[in-house]
Amino acid sequence: MRIRAAVSAALASAGILLAGWQSGIHVEDTRSAAASTSAGINGTTGTTGATGATGSTGSSSSSSGSTDTGASGTGSSGAGTGTAGTDSGAAAEPTTGAAAKAGGTYTGSVVQTRFGAVQVQITVKAGAITDVEALQLTDDDRKSVQISNRAAPLLRSEVLAAQSADVQTIGGATVTSVAYLNSLQAAIDAANL
Amino acid sequence: MQRISDPQTGAEAQPLEAPSLRARTFSCMGTVVSLTLPAASGADELVAATAVVERLFAGLDETFSLYRADSEASRLARAEIKLPDAAEVMRRLYADAVGWGLLTEGAFTPERPDGVLDLSGIVKGYAIQEAGTSLLALGLRDWCLNAGGDVLVSGSPGAESPGSGSNEPWRAGIVDPEDRRTLIAGYPLGGKAGAKLALATSGSAERGDHIWAAGAGIGAASGVRAAPAFRQVSVAAADIVTADVLATAIVAGGMPMLDRATDGWNIEVLAVRAGGELLATPGFRR
Repeated sequence: MRIRAAVSAALASAGILLAGWQSGIHVEDTRSAAASTSAGINGTTGTTGATGATGSTGSSSSSSGSTDTGASGTGSSGAGTGTAGTDSGAAAEPTTGAAAKAGGTYTGSVVQTRFGAVQVQITVKAGAITDVEALQLTDDDRKSVQISNRAAPLLRSEVLAAQSADVQTIGGATVTSVAYLNSLQAAIDAANL
Repeated sequence: MQRISDPQTGAEAQPLEAPSLRARTFSCMGTVVSLTLPAASGADELVAATAVVERLFAGLDETFSLYRADSEASRLARAEIKLPDAAEVMRRLYADAVGWGLLTEGAFTPERPDGVLDLSGIVKGYAIQEAGTSLLALGLRDWCLNAGGDVLVSGSPGAESPGSGSNEPWRAGIVDPEDRRTLIAGYPLGGKAGAKLALATSGSAERGDHIWAAGAGIGAASGVRAAPAFRQVSVAAADIVTADVLATAIVAGGMPMLDRATDGWNIEVLAVRAGGELLATPGFRR
């Protein structure tokens, strides 16, 4: 009997953790939905305060160690999302049973990388990521950049151009002292001697 | 004032603006070294700075040149002395070169195919680096040092008065290996904080005897040498030794080494393939 009580308590705790995790996701979801102002990504009705209240009751009852094993996890999970809806105070909140399977569109925070600011949006259906979209991938000049710094084929017209009259120094494979005499570097040096 | 004709169009270029820069050159390590300072720094300062740089280069050349029979490098090559008995700078650069050999998975090597220790692939970069340190120690903030096509800069060429904090970069041109009178690309060095300060270029045609294709150790014995994938490779980096070593390694190691270099180091690369096509990292894009 003690063992059974311990097991159900553990399962209840797991349920609460799951509920907390999912409510965290939905808070994030609400935030990104509000930020992008795209109304109703998941398009469902709002939760009422009553649902939230029921949620708290449900989770408190599960933490009191009811013998309802598997069902206690699911129940408190539903309750948790309800509470999340109330906490975030958003009008439209996906909190149906199906949404508990983590469907929707989630936007990550903006991360600064050496390639510029990167922000990624993922779409989740039935618990699986179905789409990943880069919302931001720009450098300081607001041009899109390659995420890799690998060298790629380039036309001669596409490289940073230079005119010999407009540079102060010349890079090139090592010239011998003799070859230097006829080099562009020699001409530049001569102009500045 | 001297006019430089533009070899790409053949047209006469704009005359240079008022002599804002002053340069001095000297010959060492088989090539020519140029030091350029803003004219505002004063001619005496340039003379003194060039003398310091020249002494440093000459000292290293005396130790490392394989063209001088009496150099320590030549005595090592003849096995008259052993590495542990060599000068500290020789042992230090040997250790650095071996380290680069590991980092580049053998694309850079301090040994010739015949087994003779040859640190010429790293000595020039080291000499430029040490010269740069000396120039900064002399209190010079704005300068451009070019040793046979490898460039290290500090500050900006636009300084009206020394240390005026101008953030105009030094503009470097990269020669076209097909026609050394024209430029294939440009690259800004220095100027603002965080900009790359060093640009090194290696070629498979110029003095190619100090670059061997990776794995040539086997081929060289039978007289076969792998055809290099790149005619010329330019690397821009924060420091000249990294730029110089990686440019050499990419010429020797080909495409796999190019990808390893761009993945593993914060560098920009412009590579000219054997057929003349260009490969470039985003920093070389217009």
